[in-house]
Order: sequence, then C-alpha cells, then structure tokens
Amino acid sequence: MKYYRPNTITDFFELCASLGPGAMTLLAGGTDLMPRYESGKAMPDHLIDLKMLSELNQINISEDEIVIGALTTIQDIQENDLIKSEFTALHTASIDFAGAQIRHRGTIGGNICNASPAGDLLPSLYLFDATLFILGPGSERQLSIQDFILGPGKTALEENEILSSIKLKRTGLHSEFVKVGLRQSMAISVVNVAFLFDSVLEHLKITAGAVAPTIVHLDSFTDAYLKDTSSLSDVLHLIDDDIAPIDDIRATASYRKKVLVNLVRHFITSQKLEHENH
Amino acid sequence: MLYHPKPHKSNLTVTVNGHPIEREVVTHLRLLDFLRDDLGLTGTKEVCGEGECGACTVILNGKTVNACLILAVEVQGSHITTIEGLADLQELTELQNSFETHHAVQCGYCIPGMVLTGEKLLDRNPHPSRDEIKYELSGNICRCTGYHKIVDAIERVAE
Repeated sequence: MKYYRPNTITDFFELCASLGPGAMTLLAGGTDLMPRYESGKAMPDHLIDLKMLSELNQINISEDEIVIGALTTIQDIQENDLIKSEFTALHTASIDFAGAQIRHRGTIGGNICNASPAGDLLPSLYLFDATLFILGPGSERQLSIQDFILGPGKTALEENEILSSIKLKRTGLHSEFVKVGLRQSMAISVVNVAFLFDSVLEHLKITAGAVAPTIVHLDSFTDAYLKDTSSLSDVLHLIDDDIAPIDDIRATASYRKKVLVNLVRHFITSQKLEHENH
Repeated sequence: MLYHPKPHKSNLTVTVNGHPIEREVVTHLRLLDFLRDDLGLTGTKEVCGEGECGACTVILNGKTVNACLILAVEVQGSHITTIEGLADLQELTELQNSFETHHAVQCGYCIPGMVLTGEKLLDRNPHPSRDEIKYELSGNICRCTGYHKIVDAIERVAE
C-alpha cells in the first residue's frame, strides 16, 4: 500500500490525476475506515491522507453564516462558541459523540461522507439545511446535504472530488438534539432526532436518523401539528408516513418508531410547558 | 495487526516519550503495533482493536487517541506520550499514586488508558466534577467494571 500526504489541494488533484480513476481511498480521521480494515476489508493500493490539507481545517464565521472545513474534528465542533450558542443541536450531537479519543480524530466531513443512516451529526446538518462545497480538479460545486447523501454509505461525490466545507446559515432559531442508544456513550444511535424551533413553537422542523436509509424530515407530522397545535396526540401517528425503520442488531423497527414518537411528544410538551411558565 | 499483499515501506520520524525516533515501517502498520512491537512499549494495550475500548489510548500532540485506529505513518513529525513516558520508573505521578491508594486496579488491562485519559483531563481542567470525570472516561472501558474506584482515584487528585 502506498501512502500519500499531500500538503495542498493542488497537490492532491495532481496526485489523483497521476494515480488514475478508482485507484485510491481517502483517509481523514480514520475512525470509521480503520475498523473496516481491522475486520478484514482489503486495504487499498493507494491511501491518500487528507489531514495536511489545512485549507479544509478551519472554521470561518461571517454575519449570516458559518463555514466549517470538512477536516474539522468533532472535538473542535464541540469547543466552538458560535456553534454552541447558535447551532445547539450540532453542539449537543458533538457532546454525545463516541468518546474523547474518537472525537479527537473523527471529522465532520468523514461523518457526512460515510453517510451512515445513524450518523450523529447528520440530523442537525439536515435541520440547518447545510450546503456542502465540493471541489474537483479545476471545478467547484455546491449541493444541499439532502442531495449529497443518496443512501447508506452512498454520496453524490464523483471520481476525484472531495468535500471541502459545510455552510450553515445563522437563523436565530433555537435547536436541540436527542440521541437514544443502547448505552450513553460509544454506542451507535438507535434513534437520533433534532429540532429547530422558535420559542412559541410556531416554527418547528424535525429531522430524525436511524429510522430510514437516510436522515428524514418529519414534515407530514409537523405540517399537521402546526395547522392545529391542540392536535398533538391525534397527529403523532403521522410520523409513520415520514420514516421507514428496519430491524437490526440494535433495535427492532417498532421500537425505533416508538422511541421516536416518544421523543417528539416529550419535546413538544416540555417546550409548551416552558412557554406557559414564562 | 493489519495485512496488505503489496507492502510498501516508508521512513517515519516521530518523538515518543521525548525521544526522537527514526524507523522504516510498512505503511499499513498500526501505531499500536509500532509502539508495542517495534519500540517494545507494551504498556499500550490492545483489547478490541476497533476503537471501542480505549485500552490503546496514547497522547498524540496533546490529545488522547486510540493507537489501533491510526497508522504509524500518519504520526510523522508528531509527539507521542505512552504510559511509559508519564513518569520515570522510580517515581509515579500523583494520579498513578492515587490509582494505587484507591485500589483502582483490578486486572489492570485498561489502566494505562484510564491513567492517560485522566492525566489529560486534569491537565485541561484541574478540578473536574465527578460527572466531568465520567464523561471524559466514556471512551475507556473496564471489563472488570471497577469504574467507581477509578473515578474516585481521579476525583481525589482533582480536589
């Protein structure tokens, strides 16, 4: 296996061109890639380590948006003050994320490109309608995260393209993230869910993970609920229309659904109570 | 241990426990195997080999990482501290002494990782709460389940 560590994006694309199509695997934090090799997946002939690409490892904040480099680690996300105050769901997801050793290596770009149905940053990124910047040799394009993730482990990245950064718009809305796993830490989510809302719950958007091949918006439910906010118990069943959970080693489909419905009910009733008490 | 049918070698320069080291390594060698087999630093343990348990925790450029999830070639130019580098053999650190006085060690296999994680926590936050200690230790698993005494040992130093 040949190992490469390009220092600039230009070097990276030159390297890709010299290796030819399909020859290499990209390495960021390695926290998902390495366990696959340890469990017997064949290692590639060419491994390109992206970690020296400093252009991909910065967070830029402007008046109306934040742009997060794809190589930003989960720990760096957790420690960013703006993410903590304005993108609380993403911040909470970075706290609930694995253990310190994984957070120190794993990257936001890796979490997106792995496109796991249970990826813990993903519900928040869907919630904030993240725009992804994709670099190719001499080209740049943007896709919404929804158009980028095509299915489990499948993305819209083409040959010789890399995800360079993730843009989130600053909306001033509140957000929350809740994860349920078989234990609190170091466990893949059975259900994860993120909420975007204003203080009177007139605006409400919900995204959920591990209940379908990709993250889903619970729009059937929120549309009905926002039309008549007294109808909560009557419309919770509409969550069923937005999800397609499966049975696996961690949980059954019906358990996932029940947990999700309970998390949504709990969130809305506690928000209502909080509002009434103010 | 990872396998590749077409092994390639690469030169590696790295500082381990304060000592500059230069070796030729195969590119698919894990940092864990480099430390244990090439350098003989067997205080770094392998248990799960897939980043779940933290027994192979080392400090890489000031941060705890799992040595089983990193290739040796990735640490080119870096600084690594293993449990052997924490204290000389004559004198233990305050935290290591605290593990001893609190009987925090049962089979002992997770302890190098627990100690390194605890040391890094105390570096960053000298007075963590019990909950903060538990949160920081969540990537280190003890299958003797002796967590209380481990948390006690760190908490005592944090006081």
